[in-house]
Amino acid sequence: MQPRHAGASLLTQVEVKRSISLLTAADWLRLHKVARAFCRDAAFEADDLLQEAFQRALDGTRHCTRTLDIVHFLAGVMRSIASDWRKARKRRPEMNLVTQTGALREVVLQVRDNSPVAEEVLAVNEEAGRLQAAIFALFVDDALAQRLLEGIMDGLAGAQLRSLTGLSETEFASKRRLIRRRVDKAYPKDWTP
Amino acid sequence: MSQKNKGQSPRLDRLTDMLVEDILASSDADLLAEAAADKDDGATQARRAFERASRTVGFRRIARNQRHPPGRRQGPANIRALDPKTARGWLDAYLASNPETAGQLSRAVRRGSKLSDEDVYGMLEALQLRGVLTEKPIEQSRR
Repeated sequence: MQPRHAGASLLTQVEVKRSISLLTAADWLRLHKVARAFCRDAAFEADDLLQEAFQRALDGTRHCTRTLDIVHFLAGVMRSIASDWRKARKRRPEMNLVTQTGALREVVLQVRDNSPVAEEVLAVNEEAGRLQAAIFALFVDDALAQRLLEGIMDGLAGAQLRSLTGLSETEFASKRRLIRRRVDKAYPKDWTP
Repeated sequence: MSQKNKGQSPRLDRLTDMLVEDILASSDADLLAEAAADKDDGATQARRAFERASRTVGFRRIARNQRHPPGRRQGPANIRALDPKTARGWLDAYLASNPETAGQLSRAVRRGSKLSDEDVYGMLEALQLRGVLTEKPIEQSRR
């Protein structure tokens, strides 16, 4: 049952299962919150993403090094799965059953052309722009949070991000927490208010 | 779930990464207090997801052992156990030795580099099912 190569650097499947079984209530919660964050922009549920990540960890498809915290490992697995699922969904043509009103026997199967037309690209960009504006509007009373948000979205991180706002590490963590809490409350499930 | 935002911008991806970073950095006490305030039963749901995953993996293991009793297992290699680089190598090797198949694929697929890991695993599994994939000893190629 154990991969022969696992050696000293990787947790065995039994060890992975034991480590997960021993997680604290806070860690279970942490994992579920991470799953929800990755699912905001996706047509899948947090529970499904979490279950898939557990399965890949338990069946040895993904390996956890001994030096890596198991929660961080599972968060990484979820990120990777969510990214793959999103890409797969974009590539796969959507099939819709279209029925004429009151005529259930008349069913037409429509396979959508997968390549986005200019209008669709424009619509997606407009939607993303509207969403970003709505997120910024959550912090209309907090210019510092808005500046931090702008930096985060621009790809700044660490000291660079802190220097943008002039915040100490503790103040930065506190502001980041505030942003997460407001976003969580405004968008508990997906990016639809 | 919303279908409108499936082409999420990199800016929102970065925001998501920051939110996850914060969740991972939050103290246990803070998270538990948040859950109490929000009446969030995520911990229970996560535990249930783990139980479902454990059952699924267990059933699959039993089914596999029934098909191929341990010690006499000569089944196909578990493609998912390959590391992504090795999996791409297998696909490249197959396409190189089967130019007629490669010719039917788009340029992006032939190059291989634009395929996601999931695509590569899926294609290898499809080739394996058709019995046309040349498999190497998996022990040398696991992730």
